[in-house]
Amino acid sequence: MQNTIQREIIINASKERIYRAIATPEQVVLWFPETLDGDLAVGQQPILGFGEYGKNQIYIVQATPHDYFAYRWVPGANNFIGDVRSVPNTLVEFRIYEESSGSCKLVLTETGFAELPSEMMAAAFEQNSGGWDFMLGRLVTYLQP
Amino acid sequence: MIEADIYKALGDPVRLEIIRRLANGSSNTITELSKNLGVSRQGARKQLQVLVSANLVRLLPKGRETAVTLDTTKLKVAGLFIAKLEAQWDLRLHALKKLVQDDPTS
Repeated sequence: MQNTIQREIIINASKERIYRAIATPEQVVLWFPETLDGDLAVGQQPILGFGEYGKNQIYIVQATPHDYFAYRWVPGANNFIGDVRSVPNTLVEFRIYEESSGSCKLVLTETGFAELPSEMMAAAFEQNSGGWDFMLGRLVTYLQP
Repeated sequence: MIEADIYKALGDPVRLEIIRRLANGSSNTITELSKNLGVSRQGARKQLQVLVSANLVRLLPKGRETAVTLDTTKLKVAGLFIAKLEAQWDLRLHALKKLVQDDPTS
C-alpha cells in the first residue's frame, strides 16, 4: 500500500513568487480552491471552497517563507467541516527549491494514505468525480486567452 | 486501516501460506487449503476468518464445501484513489505554474 504521493514541477519564477501563490489567501484562490474562508497562518483552520463540489476545512501545520508550506486535510472529501486532526487525514507539503538555471522546482508530497480507512477511499472514488471535473474546468479557464 | 490490517493478517506463517496457495490457484476450498498446513481443519477455518475480516479473502458456501477466493478489491480501490489524487495534483500544479509565470510580479 502506497503511503505517499509525490509530484514535481519546474516553474520559471522566483521562490518568493511561488511561495506567495501558495501561502497567501488572495493568490491561492487563483489556482487551487475557488474561495478561501479564513487565514493561512500556522494553527489556523481555513475552509477551502470548491464551488458546487463542496468545502474542505484544513489545518495549517507550517509556513516557512519562501521554502515550505504544509497543511493537513481529508483527501478526496466532498465536504469536510471540522478539525481534521480529529479524523484520519493526510499531510500536504510544498517544498520550493531554487535551480541553477534560475527557475525553481516545486515538490508536492501528500503522506498518510496507508492510515486512511479503505471505506473513505472507496466512497471518495465513487462519489467524488466532482473534484476532477472542478479541476478540469479551472484548467480550461486558465488555458483560454 | 488498510496497511495495518493487511500486515496483521499476513503476519502469520499459516495465513501467509493460505494466501500463497490461493494466489497460485493450487487450492480453493477449505478442505484443500487445510491439507499439510500443520493445523486442524478447525484451526484453518479460524485463520481464514482473520483473512476474511481483513477483506483479503472471501468465503462462498458451495454444497457441502466452502469455496475460498482472494479479494483484491481493497488494494485496487486504494490504487485508484491515489492515482486520481496524483492526477488532481498535476492539474493544480500546472495551474499554479501558469499563474506565476504569466504574472511574475504580483
